[in-house]
Amino acid sequence: MATKNINKEEFYALQEGGKPVLVDFWAPWCSYCRRIGPAYEKIAEQYGETLDVVKVNIDEEPQLAQAEQIEVIPTLVIYQSGQALGSVVAPESKAAIDGFIRQTLNL
Amino acid sequence: MAHVYDMVIVGGGPGGYTAAMYAARAGLDAVVLEKLSAGGQMALTHQIDNYPGFPEGIDGFTLGEQMQSGAERFGAKTELVEVLSLDLNAQPKVVQTSEGTFYGKTVLLATGASPRTLGVPGERELIGRGVNYCAACDGMFYRGKTVVIVGGGNTAAAEAMVLSRIAKKVILVHRRDTLRATKIYHEPLMKAENLEFCWNSVVTELLSDGKVTGVKLKNVQTGQETVVPCDGVFVSVGRKPATELVQGQLNLDDSGYVVADESTRTSIPGVFAVGDVRTKALRQVVTAVADGAVAVHYAEEYLTELG
Repeated sequence: MATKNINKEEFYALQEGGKPVLVDFWAPWCSYCRRIGPAYEKIAEQYGETLDVVKVNIDEEPQLAQAEQIEVIPTLVIYQSGQALGSVVAPESKAAIDGFIRQTLNL
Repeated sequence: MAHVYDMVIVGGGPGGYTAAMYAARAGLDAVVLEKLSAGGQMALTHQIDNYPGFPEGIDGFTLGEQMQSGAERFGAKTELVEVLSLDLNAQPKVVQTSEGTFYGKTVLLATGASPRTLGVPGERELIGRGVNYCAACDGMFYRGKTVVIVGGGNTAAAEAMVLSRIAKKVILVHRRDTLRATKIYHEPLMKAENLEFCWNSVVTELLSDGKVTGVKLKNVQTGQETVVPCDGVFVSVGRKPATELVQGQLNLDDSGYVVADESTRTSIPGVFAVGDVRTKALRQVVTAVADGAVAVHYAEEYLTELG
């Protein structure tokens, strides 16, 4: 199942869920964002039990991107109860995303 | 005993996936180890107009995905792993990755190349905060702003054109007094009204307040230093082959490329190098693809001798 793109309301609702949330801030015109895609889908499969894995299209949600101070894409952020625990910009491999998740959540 | 592949292909760009397709069609058991997604450098190319068969051009990411599915249709596999080390002299050859060890009777290196950096202090920290390596990727952030592009080759020229259509002002900094880019780029660049040239100059420092605010330039002839305020810097000063993992095992040339001729054979039997990573005159998708096919031909020969 493809990772879901969420809007601002869904973003804030997810933060109430208790589960950490991994968000990929991206845009359709960003080539590197597309490159992350296949690895991100694998990550969603692998970590689905631990994390809610979603995406935010910053063109459709500019206010949310601004509120979260996203200045470059792709940026991946892990949130827990509304708080950003960590972020990574343009990870260069699936292994780098794995490492970021494990380090941020102490897995 | 762990599974031994006929061919372990390191890198999923056009060279890697063409080899995978030819290998699979030849009945070889092949796996592509790719760290992120198919296509390699090509995947970041907005439009490829010089790969035959696509009269309207095709975007590099899509072409990469299609090459992957073409190879997988015949049974080639892909693993999204990062290669950590290689033992190319062992038999079978050993590839350690972020997700376990792979063994191959042959190894095909298709690791490509990546952008060279300026090598000035603060560059790495400012990536994403004003330092960029790809106009097609990050140019949109500089709409109506002032950007510096460093370099004088074909990529720099193409990127300068892209940026001149987005940014308010583009300043091209080059260490020589003329572009190295092919003639086709010169005229449109000279015509672009918002493009300025700083010849004989190199960037010596990035100025920032957390984000890039300007660059310090040094004229290589006079030694004079100037400060150019800008919102972003695009670095386009050539490429570096991804050969760190094979240093000390394979013969490399002075620039770090794997020494291999058109046969793609390297200094170690059973190890082949295809695409941008090997010594060659022209680094293009179309030559990488050709390498992939040729490599499988010689790999089959090697496997027959191996018995």
